[in-house]
Amino acid sequence: MSRPRKYAMVIDTRRCVACSACVYACKAENEVPEGYCRDWVVQLVEGSFPDLTLTNRSERCQHCESAPCVANCPTGASYHPGDGTVQIDRDLCTGCKACLAACPYDARYIHPEGYADKCSFCQHRLKEGLQPACVTVCPTQALTLVDLNANDGAFERLTAGREVQRDKVHLGTDPKLFWLT
Amino acid sequence: MTEIISNKLNPNVLPHLDIWTWDVALYLFLGGLSGGLLILTSGKLLLQSGGLLHPKAPPRDPGLSLQVAALLAPVLLGLGMLFLFLDLELKLHVWRFYTNFNPTSPMSWGSWMLLGFFPLSGLQALIVCRSWFSSVPLLQRLADQAMPYRNALAVANVHLGAGIGVYTGILLSTFYARPLWSSSVLGFVFLFSGLSSAAAVLTLLSSEEERLGHAQLMAYAMAMEGFALTMYLVGGLTSTGSSRSAMWELVAGGHAPWFWLLDVVGGLLVPLLLITLIALRKVTYAPLVPILTLLGSLSLRFLIVGAGQAISTIS
Repeated sequence: MSRPRKYAMVIDTRRCVACSACVYACKAENEVPEGYCRDWVVQLVEGSFPDLTLTNRSERCQHCESAPCVANCPTGASYHPGDGTVQIDRDLCTGCKACLAACPYDARYIHPEGYADKCSFCQHRLKEGLQPACVTVCPTQALTLVDLNANDGAFERLTAGREVQRDKVHLGTDPKLFWLT
Repeated sequence: MTEIISNKLNPNVLPHLDIWTWDVALYLFLGGLSGGLLILTSGKLLLQSGGLLHPKAPPRDPGLSLQVAALLAPVLLGLGMLFLFLDLELKLHVWRFYTNFNPTSPMSWGSWMLLGFFPLSGLQALIVCRSWFSSVPLLQRLADQAMPYRNALAVANVHLGAGIGVYTGILLSTFYARPLWSSSVLGFVFLFSGLSSAAAVLTLLSSEEERLGHAQLMAYAMAMEGFALTMYLVGGLTSTGSSRSAMWELVAGGHAPWFWLLDVVGGLLVPLLLITLIALRKVTYAPLVPILTLLGSLSLRFLIVGAGQAISTIS
């Protein structure tokens, strides 16, 4: 019997050029309304002139293994479907906003139609064997969706010799976005 | 130097969380007040009728203040739930709260607990206000049937009231992403604040003979609230960096004038001082005392709800 999938995303900050193609691909693919976004790009400048470093980070929902949004959802609208992602059942969502308050990454928003919304790793595309829209469109191949349970060495190959960062690991959410610096 | 440039949008999330406003603050206030009223009215009923183990005949007239307070408990909670309902983005999906139970979600616990609150507090109000419904035979019969269980009902209601009172704080405190809310002590702050505001309502409703007793009850609850609030502040100020900066923002930042003037001085210290002076017969009672307590309690919910979102997400 095959193991259940456990999707995660590896983001190479050395490849990312902050073009925001991932943001626009996501908006088009998921019909994200104007003024909202499911993913975004952060440019982080650190140091003192002339010793400055610039890091480009494509960010989105972390699809936490121990997701506070799922724990705090009173109706079960936020749930783990068993493939390592966190999804939202719009029919169960009441728009109570508990998940927005619970998310330490501020990755969610309330869609103008009333339900909570966020990155789904393009679950509808995954079901068809396709990659998420942001991964497909990235011109520098900075984004890679991996299955941590696949045992195919993909994650190890991507991260070999690189410093791997995850956001707010100390909170115990077990986030599944891995930034390579 | 660190400079962050982001193309993240999302209203009500940026520049800071702004999802819960006056309606949720009012719900938390009314929930705490209802819980407090249920605890105090049930406690008084138990004292009047000899307790669970040694029940005696109930007094013919429980007193107008107790009757009104018993009736107010479910009515005010109903009003609070109306505000909560108004806050829902998908109001037609409200029934979804009752198609699921999530043991890790305080909101789920609260939803189911409220289902018990209305029948139990309503039944108690019916027993206490039995004489008011003499023209409705069905309600009279229901009150008669429930009468033998009145003490057990009061015991259950004390616990239910405490549960609702604590719940209004725990609801916020489980959101560890918001450092100002992330303290279990907040449950006790809101519970005692709910008790003090319930005692304030009882004081406003009291006859002259009852008034001092109810005002003293208000003072005890405020003293406990002050103690819990101090623990809440100390806990935050001695915790992690995020909690420390959130608490500093509350006690010395932009929200500090509101906190100190309306909540601590106006809502706690001044009423406590006035009650002490009234008890010592240095000043005469004025309704201003319980009104200040109620305003302090209300302001505390607005402050905690607002500041908890305005202060940065946990880092």
